[in-house]
Amino acid sequence: MADQAPAPAKIVPPTSAPDDVLRVEHISKRFGPVTALRDVNLHLRKGEVLGLLGDNGAGKSTLIKILSGFQKQDGGQMWLHGQPYEPKSVDDARAKGIDTVYQDLALIDELSVYHNLFLRREKVHRPFPFLANREMKLEARKALDEIGINIPRIDVAVARLSGGQRQAIAVARTVNSASDIILLDEPLAAMGAKEGSMILDLVARLKAEGRVSIIMILHNYVHVLEACDRVSMIQDGAIALDKPTAETSVEELTDIVVNEYRRARAATHEESA
Amino acid sequence: MADVAGTPASPESPAPPTGPSARSRGGPADEATPLRERVLALREGSIIVVTLVVAIYFALNTGAFFTSANFKTLLPYVAPFAILGAGEVFVMILGEIDLSIGGTYLLAPYLFYKLANGGFPLVPSVIVALIACMAVGLINGFFTAVVGISSFVTTLGMLFTLEGLTLIISNGEPVNTPGAQVHQTHRVVTHVVNGVHIQLQEAVNHIGTFAKFFGGGVYSEIIWALVIVVVLQVLLTFTRWGLHTVAVGSNKLGAAEAGVLVRLVTIRNFILCAVAGGLVGVLQSVSSQTVQPDTAGANEILFYGIAAAVIGGTLLAGGSGTVVGALIGALFLGILKDGLILQGVSANYLLFYTGLAILAAMSINAYVLRLRRGTHRG
Repeated sequence: MADQAPAPAKIVPPTSAPDDVLRVEHISKRFGPVTALRDVNLHLRKGEVLGLLGDNGAGKSTLIKILSGFQKQDGGQMWLHGQPYEPKSVDDARAKGIDTVYQDLALIDELSVYHNLFLRREKVHRPFPFLANREMKLEARKALDEIGINIPRIDVAVARLSGGQRQAIAVARTVNSASDIILLDEPLAAMGAKEGSMILDLVARLKAEGRVSIIMILHNYVHVLEACDRVSMIQDGAIALDKPTAETSVEELTDIVVNEYRRARAATHEESA
Repeated sequence: MADVAGTPASPESPAPPTGPSARSRGGPADEATPLRERVLALREGSIIVVTLVVAIYFALNTGAFFTSANFKTLLPYVAPFAILGAGEVFVMILGEIDLSIGGTYLLAPYLFYKLANGGFPLVPSVIVALIACMAVGLINGFFTAVVGISSFVTTLGMLFTLEGLTLIISNGEPVNTPGAQVHQTHRVVTHVVNGVHIQLQEAVNHIGTFAKFFGGGVYSEIIWALVIVVVLQVLLTFTRWGLHTVAVGSNKLGAAEAGVLVRLVTIRNFILCAVAGGLVGVLQSVSSQTVQPDTAGANEILFYGIAAAVIGGTLLAGGSGTVVGALIGALFLGILKDGLILQGVSANYLLFYTGLAILAAMSINAYVLRLRRGTHRG
C-alpha cells in the first residue's frame, strides 16, 4: 500500500490506489510564524466521499484553499489524474475540474439565485455579449430539480433565502459546473438537523451517481460515518488518521481528539509552570 | 426535504405549493403588488418622486421654469453631473470612490489643447487626451486593487497631482479651446414693418461641426449624457461586466473565491470613471470655448458628480447602485439650483438652500429605503 519514503512518526503515509483522482504529498504551508500545514499526505479515489476532520486551526481550510487554487503551498506536490497539479488560480483549478464550496459560501447576496449559480460562467448572447438571463433561469431550474433542491423562486436575491437553501445553491453551483472533484468546506456549518439532512441527501445522491469525487470538511462524527466512504483526520498540520469509515467508529475518532486535547492541556500546564 | 427548502423566505411570499405551478416567473406575490410598492421597489423610486415634487413646486411658483428657454439652460447644466455620476456609480458599487475625476476633468482639456495646438487633428487629440485619462484610471485601480491603498486616499492624491500638473503645464492661464471658435457672419434680412420692407444686417454665429458634436451645440452635452447613461446602465444590468461589478461590491472575498477577477473588475471600473471625468472636461471646455485651470471649479463639479450618484440611490458602501439614478440625481441638483435662481434667491443663499435640500432629499431617500426593506425584506 504505502510506496514511499518513511515519513516522520505519527504521520500516516498516503495509501495509493490506481484509481486515485487526486493525490497530495508532503504539502506544507506557513503564514508568517504560524505553520498551518506541516506535512499533509492525502488521496481521493474516483466517486469517493472523503471526510476531513480536525480541530479548529488544524489546517483543514488551508488545505482546501490550496487544493482549490486560492492559495499556493510552500512545499510538497499534488497530482490530478496522475498528472502534476499546480493550479495558478481558482479559475485554473476549476478548468482542471476541481471546484469548491467555501465556508462563507461565496454567494453574492445582491444577486439572484440563477446569477449566483452561473457566477463566472454566465451564458451570454452572440454577437452582443448580453447576459442570456432566460436561458440561465431555465438551466438553473433544471439543475436544481435534477439534484433535488427545491427553491421556490430563482429570481430573488439569495439574501432572502435560508441558510440551508444558500448552502444547497452553493453546492449546486459546483455540481452544475463540469467539475469532477468537489471540495465542501463545512457544508453543515450553522445548520439545523433538517437542513443538514437535506445537504447530506444531496451528497448521497451525488455519490450514487458516481460521477464526482468529494472531499468534505465535517465536525460531526456521526455525519462523517454516515456520509463518507473514508475519513482523514488532520492534527497539527499533518494527517493523523486515514481509514475507511467502515473500519472506524465514533469512539475511535473521539479518542484521538480527546488524547490530543489532553496533550495540549499538559503542554499548556508545562509552559505556565 | 422539500418542506425545508420551501420555507417562505419572507412573509409576503406564502409557502409555495410544490410542483410546476410554484415555478412560474413572478409568482402570486408579484401580481398583487400595488403600484406604490412597485415604485418604491425601484432603486431610483424615491428620488424620482422627490425630483418630481421639486419640479412641480418650481413650475407652480415660477412661470419661467416650465419654458423651453429654461430647459436650454437647465439641460446642459445637468449633463456634466450626470456623466460624472454615471462613471462614479461603477466605482461606488465596488465600495470604492474616485475623487480624481476632478483631476482628469481639469487635465484632459489641456492635453487636448496642447495636442491640437501642436498640429494634431481635433478628434484624435480628444481621443489621445481620453487615453491619458484611461492611464490615470489604470493607476488608480492599480493602487487600490493591487497595492491595497484605500481608494479615497489614492484618488485624493491623484486629484491633487493632476490639478497641480494642470497648473504647471497651463502656467495657470486660460486658453482658447481649439476648434470651438465662433465665426460671426452677417446676412441681410428683409423685415416687413408697417407694410414697408426694410433690409437689416443680422449677425449669425457659426460653430464648427467638431464643436457642435463635442459640447458646443445646445443639446450636445445632454445627448452625450443620455447616451452614456443608457449605455452604462445596459452595461451594468445586462452584461458580465456589470454583474461582476455588483458581485465584487457585494461580497469581494466571495466573488474572488467564485473566480471573479476582482482586480480586473476594479481596475476597469476606475478606467471607465476616469474617462468620464476627462470627457466632461473636454465637453465643458468646448461649450465654454475656453480651457481654464480652475481647480476650485473642478472640485465643485467633482462633488456634484458624486452627489448625483449618491442622491440617485447608489450606496457609498457598495453592492448596489443605478446609472439612471445618477441621471435623476443630477436632474434633482440641476432643477434645484435652476429653480432657486429663477425664484430670485440671492446668490449668497443659493448654496445654503442647496445644501439643506440635499439633506432633506437624502432623509426622504433613507426613509423610503427603510419602507422598502420593511415591505420587501420581511
